[in-house]
Amino acid sequence: MNPPALLRMTAPLREDFEIAYHDIGSADSAATLALVAGIHGDELNGVFVLSRLAHFLGGVAADQQPGHRLCARVIVVPAVNILGVNTRNRRWPFDATDINRMFPGYNAGETTQRIAHAVMELTRQAHYRIDIHSSNLDFEELPQVRLYEPNDAERGSARLFGLSAVIERPMNAVFTSTIGHAWRSSGGQNFVLQAGQAGVLQPAHCDRLFHALVAFLSRTGVLTGVELSDPDEEGHYFGLGHTFPLISEHAGLFVSRLAVGRWLQAGDLIGQVYDGFNGELRHEVKAPMAGLLSGIRRQPLLFEGDLIARIQTRQPVAEGVDTYLHSQGQ
Amino acid sequence: MQIDHDSILTLELPYREQLQLHRTVYHGGDGPKVAVVAGIHGDELEGLYVCHRLAAWLEELALKRPAALLGRVELYPALNPLGIDTLQRFVPVFDTDLNRNFPGHREGLLPQRITDAVMRALAGAVLVLDIHASNVFLREIPQVRINQASAATLVPLAREMNIDVIWLHGAITVLEATIAHSLNSRGIPCLVVEMGVGMRITPAFTDQLMTGILRVWRSLGVLAPDLTLADLTHQPLLADDSNVHYLNAETSGLFLPEVEHWTSVQRGQRLGRIVSPHEGAVLSEVRSPVDGILFTLREYPVVYEGSLMARIMEVSATVPPEPAQ
Repeated sequence: MNPPALLRMTAPLREDFEIAYHDIGSADSAATLALVAGIHGDELNGVFVLSRLAHFLGGVAADQQPGHRLCARVIVVPAVNILGVNTRNRRWPFDATDINRMFPGYNAGETTQRIAHAVMELTRQAHYRIDIHSSNLDFEELPQVRLYEPNDAERGSARLFGLSAVIERPMNAVFTSTIGHAWRSSGGQNFVLQAGQAGVLQPAHCDRLFHALVAFLSRTGVLTGVELSDPDEEGHYFGLGHTFPLISEHAGLFVSRLAVGRWLQAGDLIGQVYDGFNGELRHEVKAPMAGLLSGIRRQPLLFEGDLIARIQTRQPVAEGVDTYLHSQGQ
Repeated sequence: MQIDHDSILTLELPYREQLQLHRTVYHGGDGPKVAVVAGIHGDELEGLYVCHRLAAWLEELALKRPAALLGRVELYPALNPLGIDTLQRFVPVFDTDLNRNFPGHREGLLPQRITDAVMRALAGAVLVLDIHASNVFLREIPQVRINQASAATLVPLAREMNIDVIWLHGAITVLEATIAHSLNSRGIPCLVVEMGVGMRITPAFTDQLMTGILRVWRSLGVLAPDLTLADLTHQPLLADDSNVHYLNAETSGLFLPEVEHWTSVQRGQRLGRIVSPHEGAVLSEVRSPVDGILFTLREYPVVYEGSLMARIMEVSATVPPEPAQ
């Protein structure tokens, strides 16, 4: 049987296309949980994990997983930007619009406004809504929960994923057109998960993400009978103003051997910047303060004014320093 | 009159090059300062040509009557020079719309350093023109777009710009990150000009706009009051959210317009067709929902469902548009 589609649309020269989703569990009630990935066509960790999760939940719903029970209806959209996935394009390939800047959408508007509207219509009914991202091609994120102007219920539930970092980030004008913001008008609890880097599939991050989603389903009562194979990571909550973006004042080739998730002390070496022509060491990048390395640059070509790393700090950093980084990775 | 070429920002690129933001400054007397910025989007070239024409006009003024420049003119033809040099709308590598990064930050990412430098440089101006050229899909008649919140200050200026349409739009939060909102909220009047189409230059539109720019500069005291300038040839119509109708494609295919840009249309009139290269039948007929003036027309033929094909401003049938140029 063909899966349901949240939108069917003609194409100029190819066959018609549709954005398919999984509708798992009893159809007698509205969905409790909606999961969305692939709004950006190059963010593959979320696409992979949601496809695997749908496979797993489908098996539970079909009684193929002894002892497990799906107690609520779950909507899973592994990829919204399907043409972007198939052409390895972050944006909607035809007109280069970012679908995550088109919410809440409009059913009589531009193509991507129609896509956004259809995603909203499908997911609006759910109480829990999760949007999964993987930064961009240049940057790797520790699997984490992102919260934007959360309510207390969201702050509490964010810990149910069992990830090592829950991070509050500031809202800004540009983010008002994202799905995460649009969901807020429908109430419920809304989360953005970040994991890894765009353009690649990272099995270790995917494992953490899968574990986090199953943990969340289990702890919210959507799924019962599950024994998690791995323990939770030690969780840390970073409120607003506890993110320090390390921005380069030097250009060149950036080299780092650090992995995300490492705790840094002030002065620890993060990487080096080399002159790409004569090979000279131009700058050693050191941690300006102690904290958790929640993201690091993987693209070696470094501009003056480029993001090198994000450090989550126990103490607040200078107010406002993070608010202008609104174009990064989501 | 003194003419200086300088840069307001220099940033290092990864391999042996620099990104510089260039401007040309025309110093006259102690009168007010005005500026023209263009090339925020690397695929919009109309404003670059406007800057060229203004530079030529000012250089001629410097030879013939330099004392007629009472104030200071600054031209910024390319705020996104890397985008223009690589034919990309957004800031290359950073993949971000520069006009969603204002007002910027001195210690931020490269796009925010650019916008911060621009905001600092434009401080003190009595008028900034931010010239855009739509995108590669749509052709626009010369128009000024104004946020309703700034209408009282900006509409009187826009009326003298020799453009065809003033479009008042509602406040949209995401537009708070634009140069226009950032300048206007700091008390620096900024008019957003839209005209032509991406990746192309329409010299007639530049001629039309030049007349308005010079006349407004003269009225602001930047140019001598006795300087002889061309008369206005265009009076703008006023559009807003209540009288602008959008025509989005009902199906995907090739859009073939059957009317000229900037022409009067009647309710029910066929404006074009959507066809498929796979078959001879017409997939969709595009008809006007109202009596009005077609002020936006699709330039790029391929459409998806939802692609914008035209905008029509509903007006009284007795109001004829200016002839298209």
